[in-house]
Amino acid sequence: MTPPKPHRVLLDRVSGYADEAAAYMRRRRASRRPFARLYYKGGRADDHATDSAAGGELFVAAGRLIEVAGRKAKS
Amino acid sequence: MADDHTAAQVSPGAAEGALAYLTEMSPDLRGAAILGADGAVLAGSGHADRWREDAAALFEVADRAGEEPVEQIHIGTEQGEVFAIRHAGLAAVAVTERFALASLTFFDMRSILRDLATGGDGRAGETRADDAA
Repeated sequence: MTPPKPHRVLLDRVSGYADEAAAYMRRRRASRRPFARLYYKGGRADDHATDSAAGGELFVAAGRLIEVAGRKAKS
Repeated sequence: MADDHTAAQVSPGAAEGALAYLTEMSPDLRGAAILGADGAVLAGSGHADRWREDAAALFEVADRAGEEPVEQIHIGTEQGEVFAIRHAGLAAVAVTERFALASLTFFDMRSILRDLATGGDGRAGETRADDAA
Protein backbone atom coordinates (compact mmCIF):
# COMPACT_ATOMS: atom_id res chain seq x y z
CA MET A 1 0.00 0.00 0.00
CA THR A 2 1.38 3.38 -1.02
CA PRO A 3 1.40 6.27 1.44
CA PRO A 4 -0.90 9.21 0.62
CA LYS A 5 0.65 11.99 -1.42
CA PRO A 6 1.98 14.85 0.75
CA HIS A 7 -0.44 17.41 -0.70
CA ARG A 8 -3.36 15.11 0.22
CA VAL A 9 -2.20 15.08 3.84
CA LEU A 10 -2.03 18.88 3.82
CA LEU A 11 -5.46 19.24 2.22
CA ASP A 12 -7.01 16.82 4.72
CA ARG A 13 -5.50 18.75 7.59
CA VAL A 14 -6.72 22.12 6.26
CA SER A 15 -10.23 20.81 5.66
CA GLY A 16 -10.18 19.32 9.18
CA TYR A 17 -9.39 22.73 10.65
CA ALA A 18 -12.10 24.32 8.47
CA ASP A 19 -14.66 21.78 9.75
CA GLU A 20 -13.65 22.52 13.33
CA ALA A 21 -13.97 26.27 12.75
CA ALA A 22 -17.39 25.86 11.12
CA ALA A 23 -18.60 23.74 14.04
CA TYR A 24 -17.29 26.34 16.51
CA MET A 25 -19.17 29.11 14.68
CA ARG A 26 -22.39 27.03 14.67
CA ARG A 27 -22.10 26.43 18.42
CA ARG A 28 -21.35 30.11 19.00
CA ARG A 29 -24.42 31.22 17.02
CA ALA A 30 -26.64 28.78 18.89
CA SER A 31 -25.39 29.71 22.35
CA ARG A 32 -24.84 33.45 22.07
CA ARG A 33 -27.30 35.54 24.04
CA PRO A 34 -27.80 39.32 23.98
CA PHE A 35 -25.12 41.14 25.95
CA ALA A 36 -24.00 44.65 26.87
CA ARG A 37 -20.31 45.11 27.53
CA LEU A 38 -18.60 48.36 28.52
CA TYR A 39 -14.85 48.85 28.30
CA TYR A 40 -12.86 51.35 30.34
CA LYS A 41 -9.35 52.73 30.25
CA GLY A 42 -6.79 50.12 31.15
CA GLY A 43 -8.76 47.34 29.51
CA ARG A 44 -11.28 46.79 32.29
CA ALA A 45 -14.66 45.54 31.04
CA ASP A 46 -18.07 45.29 32.70
CA ASP A 47 -20.98 43.16 31.54
CA HIS A 48 -24.52 44.31 32.20
CA ALA A 49 -27.30 41.75 32.31
CA THR A 50 -30.41 42.34 30.21
CA ASP A 51 -32.58 42.36 33.33
CA SER A 52 -30.49 44.93 35.23
CA ALA A 53 -31.47 48.62 35.24
CA ALA A 54 -28.32 49.73 33.37
CA GLY A 55 -28.53 46.79 30.98
CA GLY A 56 -32.14 47.59 30.13
CA GLU A 57 -31.25 51.22 29.33
CA LEU A 58 -28.28 50.15 27.24
CA PHE A 59 -30.44 47.79 25.17
CA VAL A 60 -33.04 50.49 24.60
CA ALA A 61 -30.34 52.93 23.44
CA ALA A 62 -28.77 50.27 21.21
CA GLY A 63 -32.18 49.41 19.73
CA ARG A 64 -32.64 53.03 18.67
CA LEU A 65 -29.27 53.05 16.93
CA ILE A 66 -30.07 49.78 15.15
CA GLU A 67 -33.27 51.42 13.95
CA VAL A 68 -31.34 54.47 12.67
CA ALA A 69 -28.86 52.31 10.79
CA GLY A 70 -31.64 50.36 9.12
CA ARG A 71 -31.18 47.16 7.21
CA LYS A 72 -28.16 46.49 5.08
CA ALA A 73 -28.87 46.86 1.37
CA LYS A 74 -28.62 43.57 -0.46
CA SER A 75 -25.56 43.63 -2.72
CA MET B 1 -18.46 63.03 24.34
CA ALA B 2 -15.98 63.54 27.14
CA ASP B 3 -12.41 62.48 26.58
CA ASP B 4 -9.00 63.40 27.97
CA HIS B 5 -7.61 64.72 24.70
CA THR B 6 -8.88 67.20 22.20
CA ALA B 7 -8.76 66.26 18.57
CA ALA B 8 -7.49 68.50 15.82
CA GLN B 9 -10.17 70.24 13.79
CA VAL B 10 -11.72 67.55 11.60
CA SER B 11 -13.14 68.61 8.27
CA PRO B 12 -16.43 67.07 7.13
CA GLY B 13 -14.63 65.87 4.00
CA ALA B 14 -12.08 63.93 6.03
CA ALA B 15 -14.82 62.45 8.20
CA GLU B 16 -16.82 61.43 5.11
CA GLY B 17 -13.71 59.77 3.69
CA ALA B 18 -13.11 57.94 6.95
CA LEU B 19 -16.70 56.72 7.04
CA ALA B 20 -16.44 55.49 3.44
CA TYR B 21 -13.24 53.66 4.37
CA LEU B 22 -14.88 52.04 7.40
CA THR B 23 -17.84 50.95 5.26
CA GLU B 24 -15.47 49.51 2.68
CA MET B 25 -13.46 47.63 5.32
CA SER B 26 -16.42 46.18 7.22
CA PRO B 27 -18.71 43.98 5.12
CA ASP B 28 -21.07 43.49 8.08
CA LEU B 29 -21.61 47.20 8.61
CA ARG B 30 -25.19 48.47 8.31
CA GLY B 31 -24.55 52.08 9.22
CA ALA B 32 -22.18 54.30 11.17
CA ALA B 33 -21.47 57.84 12.25
CA ILE B 34 -18.45 59.84 13.32
CA LEU B 35 -19.06 62.51 15.92
CA GLY B 36 -17.04 65.54 16.96
CA ALA B 37 -16.11 66.68 20.43
CA ASP B 38 -19.38 68.63 20.76
CA GLY B 39 -21.43 65.59 19.76
CA ALA B 40 -22.19 66.94 16.28
CA VAL B 41 -22.24 64.39 13.47
CA LEU B 42 -19.23 64.96 11.21
CA ALA B 43 -20.27 62.12 8.91
CA GLY B 44 -23.05 59.61 9.09
CA SER B 45 -25.10 57.22 7.02
CA GLY B 46 -28.71 58.36 6.97
CA HIS B 47 -30.27 60.79 9.43
CA ALA B 48 -27.59 62.91 11.11
CA ASP B 49 -29.99 64.20 13.78
CA ARG B 50 -30.99 60.71 14.83
CA TRP B 51 -27.36 59.57 15.00
CA ARG B 52 -26.47 62.59 17.17
CA GLU B 53 -29.35 62.10 19.59
CA ASP B 54 -29.14 58.34 19.86
CA ALA B 55 -25.34 58.19 20.10
CA ALA B 56 -25.40 60.84 22.84
CA ALA B 57 -28.08 58.84 24.68
CA LEU B 58 -26.02 55.65 24.43
CA PHE B 59 -22.85 57.28 25.80
CA GLU B 60 -24.85 58.97 28.57
CA VAL B 61 -26.44 55.71 29.68
CA ALA B 62 -23.09 53.91 29.47
CA ASP B 63 -21.31 56.60 31.50
CA ARG B 64 -24.01 56.38 34.16
CA ALA B 65 -23.62 52.60 34.38
CA GLY B 66 -20.05 52.85 35.73
CA GLU B 67 -17.92 55.08 37.90
CA GLU B 68 -15.78 56.46 35.07
CA PRO B 69 -16.37 57.50 31.44
CA VAL B 70 -16.66 54.54 29.15
CA GLU B 71 -14.15 54.10 26.35
CA GLN B 72 -15.79 51.39 24.23
CA ILE B 73 -19.29 49.95 24.10
CA HIS B 74 -20.34 46.65 22.54
CA ILE B 75 -23.97 45.58 22.68
CA GLY B 76 -25.21 42.45 20.95
CA THR B 77 -28.93 42.00 20.35
CA GLU B 78 -31.07 39.71 18.26
CA GLN B 79 -31.47 42.52 15.72
CA GLY B 80 -27.83 43.46 15.31
CA GLU B 81 -24.76 44.67 17.15
CA VAL B 82 -23.79 48.16 18.24
CA PHE B 83 -20.20 49.33 18.61
CA ALA B 84 -19.19 52.71 19.98
CA ILE B 85 -15.77 54.10 20.76
CA ARG B 86 -14.25 57.36 21.94
CA HIS B 87 -10.80 58.55 21.06
CA ALA B 88 -9.15 61.96 21.38
CA GLY B 89 -12.40 63.84 21.74
CA LEU B 90 -13.98 62.11 18.75
CA ALA B 91 -16.47 59.27 18.78
CA ALA B 92 -17.59 56.65 16.31
CA VAL B 93 -20.73 54.55 16.45
CA ALA B 94 -21.40 51.59 14.18
CA VAL B 95 -24.22 49.10 13.74
CA THR B 96 -23.42 45.73 12.23
CA GLU B 97 -25.07 42.44 11.44
CA ARG B 98 -25.04 39.88 14.26
CA PHE B 99 -21.79 38.02 14.93
CA ALA B 100 -19.54 40.67 13.42
CA LEU B 101 -15.94 40.26 14.51
CA ALA B 102 -15.73 42.64 17.45
CA SER B 103 -11.97 43.02 17.68
CA LEU B 104 -11.65 43.88 13.98
CA THR B 105 -14.56 46.30 14.08
CA PHE B 106 -13.11 48.12 17.10
CA PHE B 107 -9.67 48.12 15.48
CA ASP B 108 -10.99 49.75 12.29
CA MET B 109 -13.03 52.30 14.24
CA ARG B 110 -10.09 53.20 16.48
CA SER B 111 -7.79 53.49 13.45
CA ILE B 112 -9.97 56.01 11.67
CA LEU B 113 -10.49 58.11 14.81
CA ARG B 114 -6.79 58.10 15.59
CA ASP B 115 -6.01 59.21 12.05
CA LEU B 116 -8.67 61.92 12.02
CA ALA B 117 -7.48 63.18 15.41
CA THR B 118 -3.98 63.69 14.07
CA GLY B 119 -5.21 65.64 11.05
CA GLY B 120 -5.32 62.70 8.63
CA ASP B 121 -8.10 61.73 6.28
CA GLY B 122 -9.12 58.67 8.29
CA ARG B 123 -7.72 56.26 5.74
CA ALA B 124 -4.41 55.53 7.47
CA GLY B 125 -4.95 51.80 7.25
CA GLU B 126 -5.36 52.02 3.50
CA THR B 127 -2.14 54.01 3.15
CA ARG B 128 -0.23 51.44 5.20
CA ALA B 129 -1.68 48.58 3.18
CA ASP B 130 -0.73 50.32 -0.07
CA ASP B 131 2.81 50.94 1.21
CA ALA B 132 3.18 47.30 2.16
CA ALA B 133 2.00 46.09 -1.26
